[in-house]
Amino acid sequence: MSPRRALRLLALAAALVLPLSAAAPAAPPVEDPPVHHPDLAPLEAGVAEQLAAGRRRLSDLLAGGAAPPAALADAYGELGMLYHAYSLAEPAEACYANAARLAPADPRWEHYLGALLQEAGRLDEAAAAYQRALARAPGDVAALLHLGEIRRRQGRPDEAAAVLRQALAADPASPAAKALLGQTSLDRRDFRAAADLLEAALAQVPAADRLHYLLAQAYRGLGDGRRAAEHLARAGQVGVRPADPLLDALAALRTGERVPLARGKTAFQAGRFAEAAQQFRLALAARPASVEARIDLAACLVQLGDTAGAAAQLRAALALDPANATAHLDLGTLLAAAAPSDEARAHLAAAVEALPRDAAARRAYAHLLRESGRLEAALGEYARAVELDPADDVARLEEAETLVRLGRYRPAWERLEDGVRSLPASGLLAHGLARLLAACPDPALRDGARARDLAATVWAARPTPEHAETLALAEAELGHCAEAARWERAAIDALDSAPADRQAPLRARLAGYERGAPCRPTALTSGPP
Amino acid sequence: MRSYPWIGGLLLAALAPPVSVGPAAVPPAGAFVDRAAEWGLAFRYSNGATGKLYYPEIVGGGAALFDYDGDGDLDVFVVQGKVLEPGQAATHPIVPAGGRLFRNDLIAGGVRHAEPRFVDVTAASGIRADGYGMGVAVGDFDNDGRPDLYLLNFGPNQLWHNNGDGTFTEVARAAGADDPRMSLSASFADLDRDGWLDLYVADYVEFEVAGNVRCTAASSQPDYCGPTAFPPAPDRLLRNRGDGTFEDASLRSGIARARGRGMGVVAADFDGDGWPDLFVANDGGPNFLWRNRGGFTFEEVALPAGVAVDGDGRAVANMGIAAGDFDDDGDTDLFVTHLAGEGHTLWVNLGDGTFEDRTAAAGLTAPSLPSTGFGTGWIDYDNDGRLDLLAVDGAVRRLDEQARRGDPFPFAQTPQMFRNLGGGRFAEVSREMGEPFRRAGVSRGAAFGDIDNDGDTDVLVVDANGALRLLVNQVGSRRPWLGLRLVGRVPGLPGIQSHAGAERDMLGARVEVVRRGAATLWRRAATDGSYASASDPRVLVGLGEGDRVAAAVTEVRVHWPDGRAETFPPPPLGAYTTLHQGAGRPLEPSAKPAARLPAGKPLSRGTPR
Repeated sequence: MSPRRALRLLALAAALVLPLSAAAPAAPPVEDPPVHHPDLAPLEAGVAEQLAAGRRRLSDLLAGGAAPPAALADAYGELGMLYHAYSLAEPAEACYANAARLAPADPRWEHYLGALLQEAGRLDEAAAAYQRALARAPGDVAALLHLGEIRRRQGRPDEAAAVLRQALAADPASPAAKALLGQTSLDRRDFRAAADLLEAALAQVPAADRLHYLLAQAYRGLGDGRRAAEHLARAGQVGVRPADPLLDALAALRTGERVPLARGKTAFQAGRFAEAAQQFRLALAARPASVEARIDLAACLVQLGDTAGAAAQLRAALALDPANATAHLDLGTLLAAAAPSDEARAHLAAAVEALPRDAAARRAYAHLLRESGRLEAALGEYARAVELDPADDVARLEEAETLVRLGRYRPAWERLEDGVRSLPASGLLAHGLARLLAACPDPALRDGARARDLAATVWAARPTPEHAETLALAEAELGHCAEAARWERAAIDALDSAPADRQAPLRARLAGYERGAPCRPTALTSGPP
Repeated sequence: MRSYPWIGGLLLAALAPPVSVGPAAVPPAGAFVDRAAEWGLAFRYSNGATGKLYYPEIVGGGAALFDYDGDGDLDVFVVQGKVLEPGQAATHPIVPAGGRLFRNDLIAGGVRHAEPRFVDVTAASGIRADGYGMGVAVGDFDNDGRPDLYLLNFGPNQLWHNNGDGTFTEVARAAGADDPRMSLSASFADLDRDGWLDLYVADYVEFEVAGNVRCTAASSQPDYCGPTAFPPAPDRLLRNRGDGTFEDASLRSGIARARGRGMGVVAADFDGDGWPDLFVANDGGPNFLWRNRGGFTFEEVALPAGVAVDGDGRAVANMGIAAGDFDDDGDTDLFVTHLAGEGHTLWVNLGDGTFEDRTAAAGLTAPSLPSTGFGTGWIDYDNDGRLDLLAVDGAVRRLDEQARRGDPFPFAQTPQMFRNLGGGRFAEVSREMGEPFRRAGVSRGAAFGDIDNDGDTDVLVVDANGALRLLVNQVGSRRPWLGLRLVGRVPGLPGIQSHAGAERDMLGARVEVVRRGAATLWRRAATDGSYASASDPRVLVGLGEGDRVAAAVTEVRVHWPDGRAETFPPPPLGAYTTLHQGAGRPLEPSAKPAARLPAGKPLSRGTPR
């Protein structure tokens, strides 16, 4: 059953009930259970206004004293939905209970109550509420799916399977039903059925990469290690959510800064930057003083290429919160990427001061100092960055490169050797050391054979033009000019579409290699571009 | 050789109740009674909250049960928080300031008293635990036979060396163990089997007071952030050099290459190859299972081993850890506490270091869903021979109902006990456990041990902004039990005469209690696990079935951390017996082939630039 059809059926069921209830004599406005309305003062203004309006609707009806039960039920239920939308569980539960009492044939309030109790982990009560909802709207797929999930979590897989099969029969296309039934089959150690159902769900929702983890378990159970490993490698955190129009309506009620912030972050993490920016703008509309929304919007704008807009948002964030370390760090990094400047340096210095143990901030500051020509100062910051995060191979490499720029080749070599020893899996450091050993301005430090071994290793792991170029340098250092020329040509071929100024030094070196021995590389004082 | 006067079999056998004392029915008051205040443990852990919602405030608090003075009873150390808001320390005084050491005078001057009496000896001990205390670990890092204290702080950690005369000396910087990050838990374990305890430090997130982040609850009101608001901090692995110092082996061992928000850590040989592995519970992300490859190198294999994420594939908030063989099949299973709404997780070891999530089938998902769990442990609270589960709870997001009632720190929840029914099933029995299980608190650390030496497991619980709780077991000792302390002679520091021949607790040793006609019971000697806390290294084995011994013990086998194994004759029941490595009959190496954990992903050698 489609979500839209389910919603229509539920509305129809409610509509059938309402006239009957409306015809009944007005019930006295007794509140049972009592609703303890929360203090709205600490909430965001927009949220507080929304809740206050819902509360007024109910209190007006109660004050009138003659409201029909159906109208009162709606007022309680809708206020319960508002409380539920903002996770104010205690008053939401009381509101739903009143609504369900006043409109005993309406499935909505038991459904919402079931969802609320399920979220609170009160599974027995949640299951009972869903069962009451199903008694009012038999065959409702969303309620069946939730009930099936509850039975799974209660450790009752056979009951779960029975309920989920009902859901699948009612909506044979439901990927959530297939996924949940697949999980239940896993619980029951029926690995064949689990694999089939989960594969079917995944085929319908390929983005649901969490299913890969479940499939890996199913194939492990079937003894198929290869497929288990394949699925394990693709496992992620996106699952399949049961379609539930009632819960969608609940989500749509949420206003204020928080919801668009959360949605924006989700979109950002999924790489949907335009959508994320739109959500962060909504958050700002809800709360113009939101520093977080401005910082997050700036991150989106950077991804969308609007660096000026990003900088403006970060400056606005700092106007609101001058000590915000994240805004300083982001703005400093953004400005530094364009060009080293005093403003960039001031922001990064502020970030480092506020976050003295943040290795990434420290490295960004060191990088800026280096690019500003303040090499000695940069060295101190790099050393601190490496101390804070010894696994940061970028900081280690840049520290060594700075030493090379200062003509301190032996300390640079020592740093790189230490880095390769400490981080043997870092291709970055192995590559940096290979280049230094192949083309160090201090000939005493050159070691062509070791350079070639290191360069060959990183090439095997990742055949890039830069790695080919380094192999050429190493071969040249060994006097193998023809081999050097072959690797240099490979690098040039791979850089076919690169700008001429990028290719020029490679072509010059190639010419030297092609001239034959002696073809030792000239000294390099910088790393690969 | 330094005498280590742990009360051995004879004395305690005389003091212990007879083997058969009646049914282990739960008394009207419940199975546990809180005796902290009555016995002198008057202490309140204050997190220093001033309303700014600094993240460390919501995760800290732990304690240690350890016999620092070697008199045969468990003493207590508990950490203390501080005010983090600049300039507010004077207006929000924390009393008492700093972590406290309490001496247990259950046994004093060689005389055993009727019940414990704790005396605050912090000042005399020289301990100045003036950092923002998060947790504590215990291990004898210099092999002098005396347990030392490692204090995990938000800020530099401290290593307090036990001088053996009731005083301690801070040596963290000199020993190379002064980790400056926010650390929550640590594990002392001999990872390279050289006789010296190495140290794994689970660091949590990169947090600075000046970089505090504003977070809100779903209702939009200000609340504590979740862990993902802050970058994960790298853990540290320190190799004991055997000279009183540690080498930072985080990089060369491989563990620095992975970052998680570490909350709990436990060292155990999960794949049965004789080498201790490391399981790290990470908050809001996949766990780590560091497979010990020998040579002080480790490989992260949690995902293929099945313990990175829960059975549904979700990366959840992993906090406290209980490691133990609850199903008596000879391997180490895992139980990890989680956030409310996620449910705790029981990972059953399949015997080869791979695991299966059997939480729901065990009946543990549904009862654990409403709670946010922190400290946890496998304890056989009723000494029926089956390891039960205890979890102490406390929310990390404000509970509106408590806030409405005016609670200034509205995060309180009640502890939970899950009784092992056998056959892989558990039932929640919290209601039978007494008043301490009805009283809500913002519980964090839990340390487990027999604090009154009566043969059952008691629990010390640290509540944030609450009084320390000592849950004294009223029922376990009614059933037959045996207690073991596992010690071995270890190398001493070079040139220090007093260390020569010292014996220390053999953390990581495993015990097989072989019984006639009944399942062999496996237990492990450890101080690590749980959350931010250190537990009794002794092994306590319940043997009851009703009021009688379930099955006669025929031998006790000990698998020592160095790989050797010995068998010992059945020790007396109702008493603690010290087993010395080398005093038993050597066993042939286990016939069981060494299983291996699955290989992890190959390390990348790319250049991601």
